[in-house]
Amino acid sequence: MNLDLAKPDPLPSYIYVLSDFLRGQQLFSHLFSSRVSALSFRSTPLRFYLFLVKAELIGWQHIDFGFEWRCTSISHFGMAIERILKDDASEEKGERARMASFVGAMAIADLVKTTLGPKGMDKILQSTGRGQTVTVTNDGATILKSLHIDNPAAKVLVELDISKVQDDEVGDGTTSVVVLAGELLREAEKLVASKIHPMTIIAGFRMAAECAREALLKKVVDNKANEEKFKTDLMKIAKTTLSSKILSQDKEHFAKLAVDAVLRLKGSTNLESIQIIKKPGGSLKDSFLDEGFILDKKIGIGQPKRIENANILVANTAMDTDKVKIYGARVRVDSMAKVADIEAAEKQKMREKVDKILAHGINCFVNRQLIYNFPEELFANAGVLAIEHADFDGIERLALVTGGEIASTFDNPESVKLGHCKLIEEIMIGEDKLIKFSGVEMGQACTVVLRGASHHVLDEAERSLHDALCVLSQTVNDSRVLFGGGWPEMVMAKAVDELARTTPGKRSHAIEAFSRALVAIPTTIADNAGLDSAELVARLRAEHNKEDSNAGIDVISGSVGDMSELGISEAFKVKQAVLLSATEAAEMILRVDEIITCAPRRREDRM
Amino acid sequence: MAAPAVSQLRSSKTESYVDNKRKEDVRQANITAARAVADAVRTSLGPKGMDKMISTASGEVIITNDGATILNQMGVLQPAAKMLVELSKSQDTTAGDGTTTVVVIAGALLKQCLLLLSSGIHPTVISDSLHKASVKAVDVLTAMAVPVELSDRESLVKSASTSLNSKVVSQYSTLLAPLAVDAVLSVVDPAKPDLVDLRDIKIVKKLGGTVDDTEMVKGLVFDKKVSHASGGLTRMENAKIAVIQFQISPPKTDIEQSIVVSDYTQMDRILKEERNYILGMIKKIKATGCNVLLIQKSILRDAVTDLSLHYLAKAKILVVKDVERDDIEFITKTLNCLPIANIEHFKEEKMGYADLVEEVSVGEGKIVKITGIRDMGRTATVLVRGSNQLVLDEADRSLHDALCVIRCLVNKQFLIAGGGAPEIELSRQLGAWAKVLHGMEGYCVRSFAEALEVIPYTLAENAGLNPITIVTELRNRHAQGEINAGINVRKGQITNILEENVVQPLLVSTSAITLATECVRMILKIDDIVTVR
Repeated sequence: MNLDLAKPDPLPSYIYVLSDFLRGQQLFSHLFSSRVSALSFRSTPLRFYLFLVKAELIGWQHIDFGFEWRCTSISHFGMAIERILKDDASEEKGERARMASFVGAMAIADLVKTTLGPKGMDKILQSTGRGQTVTVTNDGATILKSLHIDNPAAKVLVELDISKVQDDEVGDGTTSVVVLAGELLREAEKLVASKIHPMTIIAGFRMAAECAREALLKKVVDNKANEEKFKTDLMKIAKTTLSSKILSQDKEHFAKLAVDAVLRLKGSTNLESIQIIKKPGGSLKDSFLDEGFILDKKIGIGQPKRIENANILVANTAMDTDKVKIYGARVRVDSMAKVADIEAAEKQKMREKVDKILAHGINCFVNRQLIYNFPEELFANAGVLAIEHADFDGIERLALVTGGEIASTFDNPESVKLGHCKLIEEIMIGEDKLIKFSGVEMGQACTVVLRGASHHVLDEAERSLHDALCVLSQTVNDSRVLFGGGWPEMVMAKAVDELARTTPGKRSHAIEAFSRALVAIPTTIADNAGLDSAELVARLRAEHNKEDSNAGIDVISGSVGDMSELGISEAFKVKQAVLLSATEAAEMILRVDEIITCAPRRREDRM
Repeated sequence: MAAPAVSQLRSSKTESYVDNKRKEDVRQANITAARAVADAVRTSLGPKGMDKMISTASGEVIITNDGATILNQMGVLQPAAKMLVELSKSQDTTAGDGTTTVVVIAGALLKQCLLLLSSGIHPTVISDSLHKASVKAVDVLTAMAVPVELSDRESLVKSASTSLNSKVVSQYSTLLAPLAVDAVLSVVDPAKPDLVDLRDIKIVKKLGGTVDDTEMVKGLVFDKKVSHASGGLTRMENAKIAVIQFQISPPKTDIEQSIVVSDYTQMDRILKEERNYILGMIKKIKATGCNVLLIQKSILRDAVTDLSLHYLAKAKILVVKDVERDDIEFITKTLNCLPIANIEHFKEEKMGYADLVEEVSVGEGKIVKITGIRDMGRTATVLVRGSNQLVLDEADRSLHDALCVIRCLVNKQFLIAGGGAPEIELSRQLGAWAKVLHGMEGYCVRSFAEALEVIPYTLAENAGLNPITIVTELRNRHAQGEINAGINVRKGQITNILEENVVQPLLVSTSAITLATECVRMILKIDDIVTVR
């Protein structure tokens, strides 16, 4: 079983032979007729599945012997496989496994590459599921999340670590991570081809990443102390993040909106209290930030439409009927009057329940479940505003922002925490009426109402705004700021280059490669903007050779510009996360030397 | 820094863009698909636009001239084409009218974009320029607009008739336009003039008669019969109306129950009890002086039984049953009453009062009219009539558009000329503006300006006029400063369109331009279609 197909040399092409022994023979003879006829295939009745035969066509013309040796090995290989793995399972080893990983990861990187930077393009995601819904997006995380991926390494890139972590924790930079990881692997592939051991490459990458991080740390600016400056920093970061998204045209407006929302949070990273409501109609510019909370529901009939100093009870309870939940429970009576009595009793029960709820001293009642006509009228009689069918998300947020708790039993009014707000009123956005809770207990809470031409626009706007909010809330905690526009990558590349020069041994190749991969980011930004990337990156490198350069790519004018003047900033935390997770992902894929695909589980009913 | 200065010189050159083959294909495919959609509705633009007959999957036939409806029914699959359908929907929600216009503009813009792309301009540059142009366009339009007062009923009627003139029911525009204006004005709350909820205007469609018989009813109309199974009343003067949400039928509990009958006498007793139970309820109702009952539909049990109807008839109470729960809010608002959910709460102060409730025969069917309501809420009901279902539906859609137009005017009190005048003026002014811009921008803005000419061109084409002659003459007139010169489709020549009373709300034009631009920009920026789960 010790088969070393990959050993001889790196080979350019693969041939998949999907067949049993006989068909394999035909295919072989078809491809290399003259050569194969000379070979003797042993007529053992072996079946072998899915061969990956590496063939160097030119090489074969010279070493017939070699080919024969391989074929023999193959038959051994096939025999062995049959013993170890199930029919449909397959195994890829060594060089091949690594190649497959590289190719998969790079394909993913190439896919999202074009969305990078302010002039990046969008993708249509067309769902094959029901409804064939269409999403238009520029957000790397969204694209990656929804892809069908078969290649295990590509999955690593998408699922396991990076883009999900990046999106959840830092919120932005998902595309950058994938592109950087892809570039690192591209470089690594070349190094492996020149016979450098993957472990050496990994060691070099690690040194380089550490050095790059150090270099960034030296350059960070921290304006935490100065509130005024800090706010401008936040504005700059927000604008930079938004400039690559659909909101780019109104980035001033949205940056302000996002900064205001995040500053309200006062340092917490809990984005829950920022609610985003999407209402089609109007244009993106009509979007606004509103303090308080907006619920997309209706007020019950005959109830007050406006309440000041509201005491709110948020509940999740059945307001239709309190059914006996024992299966098969039923009552037997012997007259109509008794049925009427039971009905009256049920009504009475509901009335008691409503009375209990009213005993909390509330004037607003929000329920997750339906409120039937009868209790609705009781509430109306009591002058209480009752909102039915507020969805789960709605009541949880409402409980959070008004400082209440979700109640489901009402026997002990004193133990239930009520929510409070200054004013509840009905407002109208577009064609719909919504309920606004303003002056809520949790001062951080606010609602962003997004308006836009269509659902596509709104969805994409929401994603972009979410990214901006994430980055900003992270920056509020970790206020270190860097310039953007490819500047950090150039700074890192410069430091890494220097490290490469002073490092002896094979590792220095890897370090050098790392630097090349870093430069790929500004290159991609320039390429996406339709600029001459080779020229620009070279100029950028020259600029950075001077001390304390602020040069980056100015996509708008298509040249190298001063990033501090242009106000393009990025959060240090994002850059650091991009650097580290991309390196880790690349490392993980580099370490792979065997891929085992398990046999798919068979469905019994197909038999 | 010296470097940026050098690059300024070459920046225009480096804005070029080389797409790879696949991206080019994707973009091409998107644009072609979107334009195909735009072309499909193009012929329905304008007063002489043609209608489309749509046969839906369920075999139903719809004849319409309304862009949003056509696109909605088309069932397109291509993602970019779908975006155009969405576009027309959002125009419908924002402005209510101009749903065809917006798609036609988007189609024309895409056509121009294709030319720009093929000359190697980067899509984002085009996209940015389009945005700038659209902002400028809105400025130009606002400058052209004429303010209008809500009290100026005549102007409102004019703009409603402009909208109606392009519909199937155009010959009735003299009737429908004032009707739409009155309906909207009657629901406007003087305290909050910008909040007009069209749901406060109920449109009841009834087959029979002609569109001419359409009327606005000061009060309520139910498309239902009065329940007179057992000789109930059909007319009631000085009505005291109660809206009830409980049922006048034998009791039913939520818990499963069964009545055990063990002998014959018991059976008799149960029947008697049932009668007494219902009678008891009706007596309570009668005691409050109520003489009209509107009963909400119930899915759990029968709202009324034959027995209860019989007793109600005897008690001289008029009954309308099966009122939908969704309608309750509208009804209570109109009648200025409160719904009653339990017999115990049946009190006089919860009832509404009206001079007359009567059942009226209309064509084949019957409707219930409630008129002379005391303290009527801010609602309106329009009874639409038509000789067949197709006309009726189209009348409904057209009326909706007209209502939207009036609502736009209430929200944004400006009028603008119709008949292609604003578009050609935009085209002229933007064209002039493009000449002072530098670089690719100027080029793109000029294309934008050219694209806008599609509206007058299509208007003329649809009216059977020579589009080239008309558009060039129109350009000529505008160049001489007649900014309100537009195509008079009826006379087939260019006239001052404001004098012809062809006006539309400013909001319709501006939102058409901004929405179309937004959509086109989105399509432009797409370079790949990825199939996902």
